Amino acid sequence: MAEVKFSEEAYKKIEELITRYPEGKQKSVLIPALHIAQAESNGWLDVPVMDHLAETLNLEPVEVYEVATFYTMFNLKPVGKHVLEVCQTGPCMVCGSDKIIDHIKEKLNIDVGETTKDGLFTLKPSECLGACGYAPMMMLGKNYKEFLTIEKVDELIEELRKQDQ
Amino acid sequence: MGETLLLLKHRDVPGIRHYDVYKEHNGYEAAEKALNMSPEQILEEVKTSGLRGRGGAGFPTGLKWSFLAKPEGVPRHLVVNADESEPGTFKDRYLMEFIPHRLIEGIIISSYCLGSNVSYIYIRGEYGWIIDILEEAINEAKTNGWLGKDIKGSGFDLEIYVHPGAGAYICGEETALLESIEGKRGNPRIKPPFPAVKGLWQRPTVVNNVESIAAVGPIITIGGEAYAKIGVGRSTGTKLISACGNINKPGVYEIDMTQTVEEFIYSDEFCGGIANGKRLKACIPGGSSVPMLPANLLLKTAKGEPRYMNYESLAEGGFETGSMMGSGGFIVLDEDQDIVYHTYTISRFYRHESCGQCSPCREGTHWLEKILKRMSEGHGKMSDIDLLWRVQGNIEGNTICPLGDAAAWPVASVIRHFRDEFEWRVLNGEDALNKKFGLAHYADPIEANKEAE
Ligand SMILES: Cc1cc2nc3c(=O)[nH]c(=O)nc-3n(C[C@H](O)[C@H](O)[C@H](O)COP(=O)(O)O)c2cc1C
Ligand code: SF4
Ligand code: FES
Repeated sequence: MAEVKFSEEAYKKIEELITRYPEGKQKSVLIPALHIAQAESNGWLDVPVMDHLAETLNLEPVEVYEVATFYTMFNLKPVGKHVLEVCQTGPCMVCGSDKIIDHIKEKLNIDVGETTKDGLFTLKPSECLGACGYAPMMMLGKNYKEFLTIEKVDELIEELRKQDQ
Repeated sequence: MGETLLLLKHRDVPGIRHYDVYKEHNGYEAAEKALNMSPEQILEEVKTSGLRGRGGAGFPTGLKWSFLAKPEGVPRHLVVNADESEPGTFKDRYLMEFIPHRLIEGIIISSYCLGSNVSYIYIRGEYGWIIDILEEAINEAKTNGWLGKDIKGSGFDLEIYVHPGAGAYICGEETALLESIEGKRGNPRIKPPFPAVKGLWQRPTVVNNVESIAAVGPIITIGGEAYAKIGVGRSTGTKLISACGNINKPGVYEIDMTQTVEEFIYSDEFCGGIANGKRLKACIPGGSSVPMLPANLLLKTAKGEPRYMNYESLAEGGFETGSMMGSGGFIVLDEDQDIVYHTYTISRFYRHESCGQCSPCREGTHWLEKILKRMSEGHGKMSDIDLLWRVQGNIEGNTICPLGDAAAWPVASVIRHFRDEFEWRVLNGEDALNKKFGLAHYADPIEANKEAE
């Protein structure tokens, strides 16, 4: 296995973030740094990636594992290039999120939690994302796609496929 | 009567997200005024205003601030809670997305009052684009001399940093939040000690909701007394309500808490009525943790009086026949909605979000989800209803943090008010699966009221 390395900007960004916390409290940078590490590593955190981060931050590997396993935004298994995180909690459900999830399953021929064979899409059902008034919705990377309809989902998937050609 | 705009004032002005436009619209006047006051004077104004915490518990903000320990030589911190993960709640996001400087200005005044030289905004990690908006607003404030050393010649130094979470509702609980900033799992701490004495890095800390801190600017501008005159009784000032579910106009509204629930749901100034011409069946008025009420008890209290959109009136009748203002996440369900399935999604949420530290919560939320799942799939037994009641009762009050109660209360409320729907589901497994719910009599408050008489 090749040695894990992040980009220069990533290390710089982590260095800069560390200065936000008092002397001796640098462990506080862990969650922001895990976000950076994940973005640098195809959207998921393999053990060598976490080990490398631990080394970079001067932490024990277990300190990194125990945090990475606690928070849902950290993926511990490989994910597709685009992770479709559709909210399924009550307020979204009463506005039809089940139909959106069923449609994506059928269209992409995957179950929830799975990735398409071409590695493009993962369907990750999620709990309330703070967009209940704009339901049904999904998170896609750093952005939310709201007021979803079957048509909008179709368009979105086509668009993402095109981007990738 | 429509909205009362204090926090969301100027929200429709193009570019209000940016410093220059915000400044042109009286932005940072409150901060300027505050820096010429003493911290004690500011505390007095906040106390006088009667402001109550907008994160859910409604604890008086001025009182909380007065508990902050001030040992010599130990830094203190203000931490703004922007974790906003309670289902039905999306008001803080709205405020930060459209008027971020309202929050930044509030943080400056509050930090000055509390003596915090480094303040943090802990924001849920999923709000990625809002993190960018806040960072930009902080930079603008800094460029214009509102952050950094010796702000506007006051001698006061302040830095504000945004700290992202990574997907964990429990990190909205203040002590779990502090653990999370410290780079750990979000396990709530046992209290005491309270954060006001030993908080972030064991230093005295105040944790406040975004909306609470954003309200401090307007309080300083108009004065605590004038702020306290808005609203009714102990529900002073304005409250942001995020309305969602089966209504015509979902969104965030700023109200002065004098509206009736009926007016809030049906008038065009607010929710605009139930969507698709349906009737109202039920509502969770304050975020998924608070009791759900059927239409009849929502619109009128058990005494037959109109219910109002404020702390006291929403709680009228206790948990037997009332609910809570909570975080202001107003979730409306129409006559077609399936209470059992809905409660299942809510219980799944709490099971997913339990930190697992205490067994009543860890095991109990698991059981609630499991039983509700089989009931909503048409495999329930009559005895499951009493089992649910027992399980929720065993969680409530037996846990380290209030997440346990938050998981128990919604289940208790639906069994209390919708027991016949649970029974119907058990007896009509097939129909239940085909989503023929029946029981729309909840939807008609007039009929339901008659029944209650
Ligand atoms: C499980 C749980 C989740 C919470 N989530 C939030 C939240 O997302 N935002 C928030 O402001 N308060 C939340 N709270 C309440 C906080 O613990 C705390 O009371 C609040 O931030 C204090 O601010 P306030 O006094 O301004 O309301 C939560 C509490 C619990 C028990
Ligand atoms: S009540 Fe639940 S969430 Fe709170 S500390 Fe206990 S296990 Fe964790
Ligand atoms: S329930 Fe889906 S965003 Fe809140």
